Amino acid sequence: MEKLVSLIPVFPLVGFLYIIFLGKGLSKNTIGAIGSGAIFLAFITSILVFTTQLHGANPTIVKVIDWITTPKFDIDISFIVDPLSTIYLLFITGVGFLIHVYSIGYMHEDEGFNRFIAYLNLFVFFMLILVLGDSYAMMFVGWEGVGVCSFMLIGFWYKDMANNDAAKKAFIINRIGDLGLILGMCMIFFHTGTLRYDDLFISESAASGLHGWDLHLAAIFLFIGAMGKSAQIPLHTWLPDAMAGPTPVSALIHAATMVTAGIYMVARSSAIFSASDVASDVVMWAGILTAILGATIALTQNDIKKVLAYSTVSQLGLMFTALGMGAYSIAVFHVITHAFFKALLFLGSGSVIHAMGGEQDIRRMGGLKSHLPITHITFLIGTIAISGIPPLAGFFSKDQIIAVAFEENMIMFVLASVVSALTAFYMFRLYFLTFRGSFRGTHEQEHHLHESPKVMTIPLIVLAVLSIFGGFMGFPHAVGHAMHVPHWLDHFLENTVEMEVLDMSVGTESILMILATVIALISMYIAYTKYMKNGELALEDDEITSSTHQTLASKYYIDELYEKIIRRPVDAIAQFARNVVEPKIIDELVKQVSLIPSGLGSVAKAAQNGKLVMYVLAMIAGLIILLSTLI
Amino acid sequence: MKELVITSLLGIGVLAFDILKLRKFILPLIVVGLLAVVGASIVDWGMNENLFGKNMIIMDNYALGFTSILCLLTLAWILTSTDYFTNEISRTDLYALVLFALCGGYVMCSYTNLVMLFIGIEILSIPMYVLAASNKRDMLSNEAGFKYFFLGALASSILLFGIALVYGATGSFQLDAIKNVLATAGSGTIMTAGILMIFTGFAFKVGIAPFHMWTPDVYQGAPTVITGLMSTMVKGAAFAAFFRLYYLGFTPTLEFTASIFAVLAGLSLIVANVMATIQVNAKRLLAYSSISHAGFMLAAVMTADSMNPRMLMYYVLVYGIASLTSFNVLYHVSKFQNGAEGFDAFKGLVKRNPVMAGAMTLSLLSMAGIPPLAGFMAKYFVISHILERGYTWLVIIMVLTSAVAVYYYLRIIVSMLTPIENAGRIVSTDSNRIGLLVLSIAMVAMFFLAAFV
Repeated sequence: MEKLVSLIPVFPLVGFLYIIFLGKGLSKNTIGAIGSGAIFLAFITSILVFTTQLHGANPTIVKVIDWITTPKFDIDISFIVDPLSTIYLLFITGVGFLIHVYSIGYMHEDEGFNRFIAYLNLFVFFMLILVLGDSYAMMFVGWEGVGVCSFMLIGFWYKDMANNDAAKKAFIINRIGDLGLILGMCMIFFHTGTLRYDDLFISESAASGLHGWDLHLAAIFLFIGAMGKSAQIPLHTWLPDAMAGPTPVSALIHAATMVTAGIYMVARSSAIFSASDVASDVVMWAGILTAILGATIALTQNDIKKVLAYSTVSQLGLMFTALGMGAYSIAVFHVITHAFFKALLFLGSGSVIHAMGGEQDIRRMGGLKSHLPITHITFLIGTIAISGIPPLAGFFSKDQIIAVAFEENMIMFVLASVVSALTAFYMFRLYFLTFRGSFRGTHEQEHHLHESPKVMTIPLIVLAVLSIFGGFMGFPHAVGHAMHVPHWLDHFLENTVEMEVLDMSVGTESILMILATVIALISMYIAYTKYMKNGELALEDDEITSSTHQTLASKYYIDELYEKIIRRPVDAIAQFARNVVEPKIIDELVKQVSLIPSGLGSVAKAAQNGKLVMYVLAMIAGLIILLSTLI
Repeated sequence: MKELVITSLLGIGVLAFDILKLRKFILPLIVVGLLAVVGASIVDWGMNENLFGKNMIIMDNYALGFTSILCLLTLAWILTSTDYFTNEISRTDLYALVLFALCGGYVMCSYTNLVMLFIGIEILSIPMYVLAASNKRDMLSNEAGFKYFFLGALASSILLFGIALVYGATGSFQLDAIKNVLATAGSGTIMTAGILMIFTGFAFKVGIAPFHMWTPDVYQGAPTVITGLMSTMVKGAAFAAFFRLYYLGFTPTLEFTASIFAVLAGLSLIVANVMATIQVNAKRLLAYSSISHAGFMLAAVMTADSMNPRMLMYYVLVYGIASLTSFNVLYHVSKFQNGAEGFDAFKGLVKRNPVMAGAMTLSLLSMAGIPPLAGFMAKYFVISHILERGYTWLVIIMVLTSAVAVYYYLRIIVSMLTPIENAGRIVSTDSNRIGLLVLSIAMVAMFFLAAFV
């Protein structure tokens, strides 16, 4: 059964090639069916592969073909089947399938429809390579591949220069992270001689060959890679701009799957990270700072997708905080629940934007509840889920991160709770401004309002159901123990990632859960009084009134800071190279060197005078010199 | 045996057809005959046929491989230059000369006796002297034929002198016997002098500096089509003989001659490439390019004790194809423009005849050693092998001079891309067009087939 795994990436790859090369004359529905069908087949196969891991972890390496074979370095194209990779498989193909279906409706009027579906297929292919590869080298292939797909999809509407700028920004900032990943891989290879997970962590533990600062540095370099891909401080600035891409892209790539690749990589390397306290602290602090930064900026954004984008940054930060505290399985848990409700929220926002004819400013919305009933209900479910109100999915995963923080580090506990409160506030602000109150847009827009077609609402409904029940795969430990409900996910991942065993009484855990719920409800109430009771748009949302507000709305001026301290010096160096180094030094050097052959040639030319006697002389002289070596 | 017999009879047959006024059947006859030679080589593969029963000639796989390569190069040469033979009267007899020269080539790559080597060289050379002067009304062609003949005679006499000295030292003309003597008794002064004189003779034939000086004059003066043959079939045969000598006979002497070879290979590369940069005549430039390639192939001969002969075969074939193509295009371009051979003659060729421009570009890039063209792999084999043998300094010269070479090859390519006004198309025959296409494909395909060498 495990052997089937090599088929999984083949489906989206075939889908991509078919649509690109043979899709020209086909109708949009056929193309959509091919694209989604490919992912669906991958999903079914993923379930079959997943079932092999259900009864006890049983890591299997499935080799496809040799890739690089040298005496010192040996890499195969082969796949790893273990709990971590299979659970990623399930939600990549599952959520991916739903978003493909949704795209058929969302992109139906777009002239680049074929290209869009093909890119999405290619993205899924690379994402599968990323999580299925059995070595860092294979993961790197997927890692770069998803980066390229992300670039192409952010700049999908390439006629608008702003989109191209956003795509370039994403690509360049990711390159910085990739450099870290490459350095990390080099250090691991240098000290252990292998990049295969099997040698490093499973059959043998070559990773223990890393010690002291080698270990810390290797881990930190790997984390720099994760920073780029998963948008952590200071490499987070590309993700909000990436919202320039079509909304299904934001949902699939920039919320549910690709941006969680960093969490996958850290979880996969948990043996390295848990051995390095320095790196773990770096991860934890970078995570919590990103979480706070994202949540505070999200408070002031007025673009529906930007709010969700900063929310994603913030949630990713929480996941890294969990990783930094050693709670790898809980971070993965939050990745999964987040994939459900964040995909749901993005697709819901897509449905809103679709209905509003491209409008994204929530100050121009309001009262959409009656016009878009299905979108409204599902969006509300997503909002409750992300806010951490029981018993929806977000509650379980987020609460466990906070519980770990309570045990490990009081500062983290306080900060994570603050993030949690802010999350509930800005999400309900978004919800109230969009769906409640009265409509604030133009008459034309109001006239145009309509619920999206079934092909878009059905994925919303499925994701809403997942957002409601998805949390039960990780029922809290102590309370669950008392109620005889196991924490299924922890058991499942037990032998794959390092485990943080919480030793908490039922009472403490219950109090924490209640506390978290109360915080979320208070935030929700504040949002309600501020944005609902008055029935009017709060004044400061329309005009910027305080310097704090200004700072938040300008995203802490980080882009401007990068412009000053990085871009300008780099530009100056480039100018210097162009105006001085290139013409005065390099060109001049080349010119001088090129004079050597022609100078020598002119000398030799004198001998080549066309006279026979000269040639005979040269031959005889040559022979005499040769024979003189005898003496 | 079959190969020699078929080709000789083919030569006589061509003469007979000429007399019997059956000229239009000559070309098909040659094509069938040469293909039959290749077929015969395949049939004889692995048989090690010993001709004349006295170890004069052994048709081993080395000989058969080179026989096929020479035969195919000649066939491609004939098919792409038919217009040279048909447009002007009484040139069909030149076919016969080419075929007789080819017989000499066979002997040169299959001999096991120094006497046969000398006979082979003369059979090959004498028709070539005539062919070089075959443009009777052109003074330059006459001059080329005369220079070639005079210097060739000098080189042959030095070679023969060397053979005599070797015979004096070892008492045998047989390669294996000479090898035994060298291995057991070592080489004395007379033996060494003989070996160096034989080397000098070869160095002249293949154009190694400082014995190369005839090459630019003869290559430029001889009719371009004939120059194409000289730089492919003749040069290939000479290197086949040269390598065979050190592969089967003089192997032990490489210990002390290798350093001389290396110095001369380096000298050839430097002289050829430096001189090529200042040329203004494309034909002369290609002549220097041919000297530079001789430097590469000499490096292969230098390591004949450890090198796989198939790598030399590959080099000969690959260089032969590229050189054939470039001389052929040059011939047609200059013929169309009253014999102009400067870079300007190539201006606008991309528009005027895209097939020729494409084939020329590929052949120049192949000679420059740019992947994915076969010339890259040919150079790669030689360089990687001599690097293993520790001649780092020679490799550095090879790489640097190759960089210089790119400069002058690109000059022709740039000319072809430069637009020109009021220039008509350059017309070519169907067989020429097909031939150039096949050669172009071969230049790319051979790159990938290098894996089987």
